[in-house]
Amino acid sequence: MSNLLEAGVAIYVAMAVALSVWIGIFVYLWRIDAQAQALKQELERERAVNQGERPAAPRATVTRVSPAKSEPVEK
Amino acid sequence: MAQRLGQVGKLLVGVWIAGVAIAMFLVIPQYEGLGNAGRIVIMHVPTAWVAVLAFTVSAIFSALYLWKGRPAYDDLALSAAENGFLFTMLATVTGMIFSQVVWGVYWNWDPRQTSIFVLLLIYAALFALRSAIDEVGRRRRLSAVYSLFAFVTVPFLFFVAPRISDSTLHPNCAFIQGSNCDGLALEIGKIGLLGDRKVQLLALEQQGDVVTAQVKVSEPGLTSEAVLTASYNQATDAMVTRPEFPGTRFQLGLERADAATGSAQLNIEAPGTGLLENRRTLLTFLSSVAGFTGLFFWMFSVRATLLGVQWAMAQRKGARA
Repeated sequence: MSNLLEAGVAIYVAMAVALSVWIGIFVYLWRIDAQAQALKQELERERAVNQGERPAAPRATVTRVSPAKSEPVEK
Repeated sequence: MAQRLGQVGKLLVGVWIAGVAIAMFLVIPQYEGLGNAGRIVIMHVPTAWVAVLAFTVSAIFSALYLWKGRPAYDDLALSAAENGFLFTMLATVTGMIFSQVVWGVYWNWDPRQTSIFVLLLIYAALFALRSAIDEVGRRRRLSAVYSLFAFVTVPFLFFVAPRISDSTLHPNCAFIQGSNCDGLALEIGKIGLLGDRKVQLLALEQQGDVVTAQVKVSEPGLTSEAVLTASYNQATDAMVTRPEFPGTRFQLGLERADAATGSAQLNIEAPGTGLLENRRTLLTFLSSVAGFTGLFFWMFSVRATLLGVQWAMAQRKGARA
């Protein structure tokens, strides 16, 4: 522990602490930002649906990965 | 495309500030007399400048809200004010750490510290006002008006009040040569104020070209007194001996002296004077300003988005009920 406070080492320790704090803040901010954007888009989409408009983008797409063996039979 | 650019910008802010943090410790040289503690200036001043920017943005959106009445402007104004408050807190805390190193105390009620404290109170009152009014439209209108009035005090409290005061230890005066730091002209026996220290010129003694001054220095509140000896070389027009004020790293400088008339020009000299004259320090400092400005705009946009989402969800809840 005392080694960390020696003159030559302490400055690197202080820098590591400052960088760790910044990385923590950055990751937190990034996640909050992503979640806020997702919430905003969700609300906009919901509002558009409620107002009878088409959503700006489709919610999901379905892609056939293998050809059907036989044509589906309508019952 | 715009979203992609936004992501790149945010990543750039992250890398940029990390670079500033590394440069703050490893690239810039130590300040004379302050050691490593002086490096905090690289964070302290930019956060204060960004706080001014944030309060300006808040005032602009408050005015826009009053003009156009769009709720989004109120969200933006509140977001900027909250970020301004946060950056002011950062500037205050980093300044307190610095003052502990240089002045020997965290809080000295120095004009600069007092004015920033008053500013924090003014903006804290804005948030209290907002939370005290339930009716949304009234809350928005009143806080927009209040925010404009609060902004009027910002230039005064940030820039004017600390500079018109004669009694400040803040580096505006002591660190930057050529700024309003004229020192104090005294005659033998007279008393004056340097920073927050009472000084009295006791005697002047001439030996060849060197004039030596005996100065009695009193701590704020007259808790202790000491007699310091400073000297000045008339031939070279330079200070020779600069003793430190007791308990601080500030020095007493004798800038001019005339033993024949018994008059002297005293000043307070801070270690690290002219710290931005070093090119590496200046570049790191400017990079820090740019980085914190980018960080502010990011935080500002995130908070405004969250406020918008909060409002939309409240509306949805109301519609369902």
